[in-house]
Amino acid sequence: MKAPAWLVPVLVVLCAVAGVIGSRLAMAPSLVEVFAEASPNAEPRRSVFVVRGVRCVDTAEMAARQLAGIDGVQRLEAFASRARLDVTYDPARVDAAALREAFEGPVHDANSGEYLFDLFEVIEMDGVKIESGREPESP
Amino acid sequence: MQRLRLIFQLAVVAAALTAGVRFALGRSLVSVETYCPFGGLETAYSFFTRRQFSCSAGEANLALFIALLVLTLVARKAFCSWVCPVGTLFEWEARLARRLFRRHDFAGRWPLAPRVDRALKVGLRLLVLAVILAATWTTGELVFRGYDPYYIAFSAHGHDVQSWSYAVLGGLLLLGLALPLAWCKYLCPLGVVLWPLSRGGALRLARSSHHCTGCGACDRACPQDLRISAADQVRSGECTLCLACTAACPSPQALELVWPRVGSNRGPR
Ligand code: SF4
Ligand code: SF4
Repeated sequence: MKAPAWLVPVLVVLCAVAGVIGSRLAMAPSLVEVFAEASPNAEPRRSVFVVRGVRCVDTAEMAARQLAGIDGVQRLEAFASRARLDVTYDPARVDAAALREAFEGPVHDANSGEYLFDLFEVIEMDGVKIESGREPESP
Repeated sequence: MQRLRLIFQLAVVAAALTAGVRFALGRSLVSVETYCPFGGLETAYSFFTRRQFSCSAGEANLALFIALLVLTLVARKAFCSWVCPVGTLFEWEARLARRLFRRHDFAGRWPLAPRVDRALKVGLRLLVLAVILAATWTTGELVFRGYDPYYIAFSAHGHDVQSWSYAVLGGLLLLGLALPLAWCKYLCPLGVVLWPLSRGGALRLARSSHHCTGCGACDRACPQDLRISAADQVRSGECTLCLACTAACPSPQALELVWPRVGSNRGPR
């Protein structure tokens, strides 16, 4: 049976659109880091950070290390392709602003032993865009 | 239709370049890798075994890879000639080389014997695929980046692109001058993944021996260098449905796009 030639570009567009829509239907993390178990009485909160500088599992791990040792932080899930970090924490012991500060603080580079500044910049916090105050830097 | 295809190709190349530059300048968080369907295959093992993505791969890569498999089952390797910006670069180069060296077809400087050609198309590409998947699945890193023509050409000197990466790209382009579409035909790992599905692809070109004059214009126009004029149907897994052959064919109705199971002869592979 004959088929019109325009069917080829139409199929190409349809599949591209289906792929883009499909990518929004499900989400899986690139990294999950558990810092502490939730205490039985605490009601944990989850904050979503979009962080410039997070672009792969390695950079997500670096960002996760920034939270190590912070009291009240329970879990981090990184979605590297979206530069997104979801942090679960106990709001009675730490708040989202402190987490942002931790992400944006100097990062210890295990390879060189030096501290890297301005590696990460939080540009969105719980759906609220944050004005950029500086140019991003690559590690 | 060739004009529309050129518009598709230009749009994708422009979009990829823009994405690469914007990401490099820190104006966007979306890198060129986000839309690479091969990234979906690279991360598939990690996703299905650990429910996590590797390196910078994500949902878009996986979803686009699955969409690409579906597209290939219906429209063969249309992705290669309508979308893939690397396929576009190599096709444009092949067209330029054809003009520069006054060639009549896309057979290139050293046409290979059909058996050698087929063995290289399968063997070399499978080897590249196996090495990349083994390395990616064991390290969790997209180790191919520095060698990937797509990433080198469109990431605006992205992470992992070294000076030798440009030498790799230059070498591939040089090879493409002698062997048209060398990357696509003999090295592209995505091409070999799509190839078996493409062979069974529903849409195909059928040649009517009743209307065909045997001029061979279709053979000369085919960037994949397939022998269309010798078959009733183009069943090759390498056909990208670029439709350059139908555009070149001077005889109306000699070469048409059809749904499957019309005719019987085995076509070019
Ligand atoms: S057979 Fe025709 S549609 Fe297929 S690759 Fe060759 S020129 Fe393009
Ligand atoms: S270009 Fe058309 S007429 Fe010429 S050989 Fe091919 S199918 Fe036949």
